[in-house]
Amino acid sequence: MKRILAATAAMLVAVSATACGSGDGGGSGDKNKIVFSYWGSDSRQKLTEAAIAKFEEKNPSIKVEGDFSDFDSYYEKLATKTAAGDAPDVMSIEIRALAEYSSRGTIADLNGKVTTTDLDQSVLKAGQVDGKQYAIPTGVNAFPMIVNKKAVEKAGQKVPDDKTWTWDDYISLAQKITAKNGGKTWGTEYNENPAFLQIFAGQKGEPFYKDGKVGVSEQTVKDWWTLLQKIIDTKAGPSAAKMLETGTKPDQALLVTKESAFGSWWSNQLDALTKGSGEELDLLRMPKSPGATASGMFLQPAMYYTISARTEKTAAAQKFVDFLVNDPDAGAILLSDRGLPTNAKVVTAIKGKLSPADQKVLAFMDSIKGELSPVVVPPKGATEMEDILKRATDSVLFGKATPDAAAKTFITEANNSLSQ
Amino acid sequence: MTLRPAAADTATETAEPPDTPPVQTGGRRRRRRKSSRARSQAWAGYLFLAPWFIGLFAITLGPMIASLYLSFTDYSLLAPAHWVGLDNYDKMFTADDRYINSLKVTTTYVVVSVPLQLAFALGLALALDKGLRGLPFYRSVFYLPSLLGGSVAISILWKKIFGTDGIVNTFLGWFGYEGQGWVTSPDTALWTLIVLHVWTFGAPMVIFLAGLRQIPRNLYEAARVDGAGTLRQFRSITLPLLTPIIFFNAVLEVIKSFQSFTQSFVVSGGNGGPVDSTLFYTLYLYIKGFKNYEMGYAAAMAWVLLLIIGALTAVNFLMSRFWVFYGDDN
Repeated sequence: MKRILAATAAMLVAVSATACGSGDGGGSGDKNKIVFSYWGSDSRQKLTEAAIAKFEEKNPSIKVEGDFSDFDSYYEKLATKTAAGDAPDVMSIEIRALAEYSSRGTIADLNGKVTTTDLDQSVLKAGQVDGKQYAIPTGVNAFPMIVNKKAVEKAGQKVPDDKTWTWDDYISLAQKITAKNGGKTWGTEYNENPAFLQIFAGQKGEPFYKDGKVGVSEQTVKDWWTLLQKIIDTKAGPSAAKMLETGTKPDQALLVTKESAFGSWWSNQLDALTKGSGEELDLLRMPKSPGATASGMFLQPAMYYTISARTEKTAAAQKFVDFLVNDPDAGAILLSDRGLPTNAKVVTAIKGKLSPADQKVLAFMDSIKGELSPVVVPPKGATEMEDILKRATDSVLFGKATPDAAAKTFITEANNSLSQ
Repeated sequence: MTLRPAAADTATETAEPPDTPPVQTGGRRRRRRKSSRARSQAWAGYLFLAPWFIGLFAITLGPMIASLYLSFTDYSLLAPAHWVGLDNYDKMFTADDRYINSLKVTTTYVVVSVPLQLAFALGLALALDKGLRGLPFYRSVFYLPSLLGGSVAISILWKKIFGTDGIVNTFLGWFGYEGQGWVTSPDTALWTLIVLHVWTFGAPMVIFLAGLRQIPRNLYEAARVDGAGTLRQFRSITLPLLTPIIFFNAVLEVIKSFQSFTQSFVVSGGNGGPVDSTLFYTLYLYIKGFKNYEMGYAAAMAWVLLLIIGALTAVNFLMSRFWVFYGDDN
């Protein structure tokens, strides 16, 4: 009997030990250790680890623990940790999450806490909510038209002048390329990225968000769908089903598989697209609507560094963020991985180290500098709103709803999601 | 019915006190001695149960109670919860078309795929039961999809098979039929997931096989002597005697497929698309909780799901009275 009791007791201790073991991981054990969470590819993880090592070398008293996951599970993990009161000290987030996190008091106001004097001030504004600097942009992206010039010329066509081309020019050119290739490869791929609509609406003078609501009018959404539908109908690009399969990851882009001559992607993906395809790819301004007064193009922070409002290691966290955005040594390691840096000093210092593709992005951004529309921080509910847009777009492209009905549904549902 | 010795023993023990009021002290002492031993044995029992109890309370019951509470709040994961009463439950059925749609999608999926899968599993079990050479090998091979079915790799494979340039369309192309993107068309996407579910017939098949082995062979012999054909034997012997197994499989598969998540999550890229055609209940729950930061609402959804599955299982059990035949109830 006693032996049984003893065995049971031992087992209990063992069980409770494992319970403790899993419980206090990642806690605030070390006073000088901060946790930095981010998402991305393996290559980003390597670069980030290198940057962390550099920081620790310069600040021997501070330890940084990288908390890395892929994007699909990133927010799930971050939100759960925040809920458990175990939020990372420094958190990477992207623009759609900014309002979600700042409005709930999860992240701290960094005004005057991190040096921002050398950063692009207009981009820095995209880290502000209600006048508070909740987030520091890591770097910027544009959403341009990317072209494989060789593929265009091979089809006997000329690469257009991107200062004057219209949406119709773009579609008819892509259509000719498809026809010339016997329908086997396409003139253009397209996607339902909201950035595309944002540019299209910007050309009509409509901001994407206005006063916490959708700023795009019903008519504009319908016109945008007409444009996408025209690409499909004229066979300038593939069917909606094919585009849906291709997905939103650059490694499966039709530009990479050499099935398309044009495509729109975020500018920091040019490097990956170029490497994946082995082709020379270039950036063009987005086509314009006839009579458009603005290009609609904008620079958007690729992501932000934010600091948890509940961290006890504020000083160390601030120092780390400061290092990431202001120190040329950090810039020399991270390069354009988190978008092109907006710190003028960093850019000058690392210019020579950038890949040829990134050099092109830098030159492109320089050339469109005077034509940019301001960036707006999306209100709370933006992630849901983008899902609603995607659903409405698909329902039109797959013939499940009329554009009129879908546009009405989109505006109503989107405004509902934003007002919550 | 005869009482087993142990039961009789406890019966007399509990009946003892009222019988012997005069000899109170002795009786009490005897009882104390007895119960202290019983108690220490009970203690050992509880100690052995403790790991399970800890698991039950810490990992299952605790979080369930927490989620029940959260379902009455506006919990967002990022900020503290506020009590909102029945708002979440109310919204679900009055103001959330996507929720209703996710119910429809899931119900279609369950209603179509479970019977199909069971029929398929039974058919194969019957074929394998005929005493095929190398049965263990085939059994393992057919079981394999059950292990892989919910995995990410298979979902990606599915995209390749049913994609615009997939195997199915290549095959159709030989007959001059131009296929479509089956996975990415709102009309067919759910059906590719149903095919995927049917394909994972291995688990019920193995259970059917075991059930078939339980049927006494002499029944078949007798039937044959009476001149019953294969079909008649199946209808009058196999099917009735297999009903408890069919019932078991049906209950299990209904519960399981109502909670399907991975297939749709991976094939649709996490949004239940195209146009919500593969928006499973649990996927919508996940989107609400983790993507839209409406954890309170997601918790309420989870509780409604529990009620739905509970009700379905109860109905299943009630219905079973009319068609399930247990050999021993004459």
